[in-house]
Amino acid sequence: MLNQIAFYIFGGISIICGLGVVSASNPIYVVLWLLGALIAISGIFFSAGAELLGALQLMVYVVAIAVFYILIITAVPWRKLHKNEQHNRLIGVTVLPFIALLYVEAFIVGISGVSITKNKIIETITKNYGNAEVIGIKLFSTYFWAFELMSVLLLISMIGAILLGRKEEKTYD
Amino acid sequence: MIEILLTPHVEQYFILAFILLGIGLFGMMVRKNLITILMSLELALNSVNIAFVGIDRLNHLIDGEIFALFTIALAAAEAAVGLGIILSLFRLRKAENVNEIIDLKG
Repeated sequence: MLNQIAFYIFGGISIICGLGVVSASNPIYVVLWLLGALIAISGIFFSAGAELLGALQLMVYVVAIAVFYILIITAVPWRKLHKNEQHNRLIGVTVLPFIALLYVEAFIVGISGVSITKNKIIETITKNYGNAEVIGIKLFSTYFWAFELMSVLLLISMIGAILLGRKEEKTYD
Repeated sequence: MIEILLTPHVEQYFILAFILLGIGLFGMMVRKNLITILMSLELALNSVNIAFVGIDRLNHLIDGEIFALFTIALAAAEAAVGLGIILSLFRLRKAENVNEIIDLKG
């Protein structure tokens, strides 16, 4: 019951902060709204019992990626950012009915009754070991290949970001 | 009614994820600044994570959380490469709006 109340509170905060991300005009305020939304989503993870994922959300998203965005915003000059219009209002008005249609479709699918069957394979393992250990066991047994590929992808993206972000002092022909 | 609201259902997580996905999608289409477009993309990715965790928790599985971990790693990689591209675009073309990037317009 307490979990559900926490879910509703954090869900409301995340929706409000998401609307702030879409509507705020100053990019620094957009980063702050995004931070609020990410922290609320990590709260949802904690209330759902996924402790490891919530902690990783706090560590990776809220600390690392948000600092990254702030770094890039400081690299782009402020005057230009302030002068320009930040929203594409024509596209916004055009797209809004389709987003609403998306919600209507989801509502119709929801009330037409799509249910999910329950199976309880992992529950006993979770009770015996706890969340983080089970994730570690699965990650290093079943999903080991995907895990290694993900680390290689992170390495590649890091090298690519360094190559893209460096100053163009000399070119390699 | 209160009882229904206070017992966990997978649909609650899906509804929240869907609302956040719509908000992120709308932000991606409406925004002009490249950095804020990437931020809206982060919001949409996070909504997918919420759906993963919800279906995990209520079906007593663990695989969805692993895929949510992969999503987080992918978002980190995407942010690194995307922000590097934005930085180099700004250095080379002095453009940070999507409307100013007109090099590929035939």
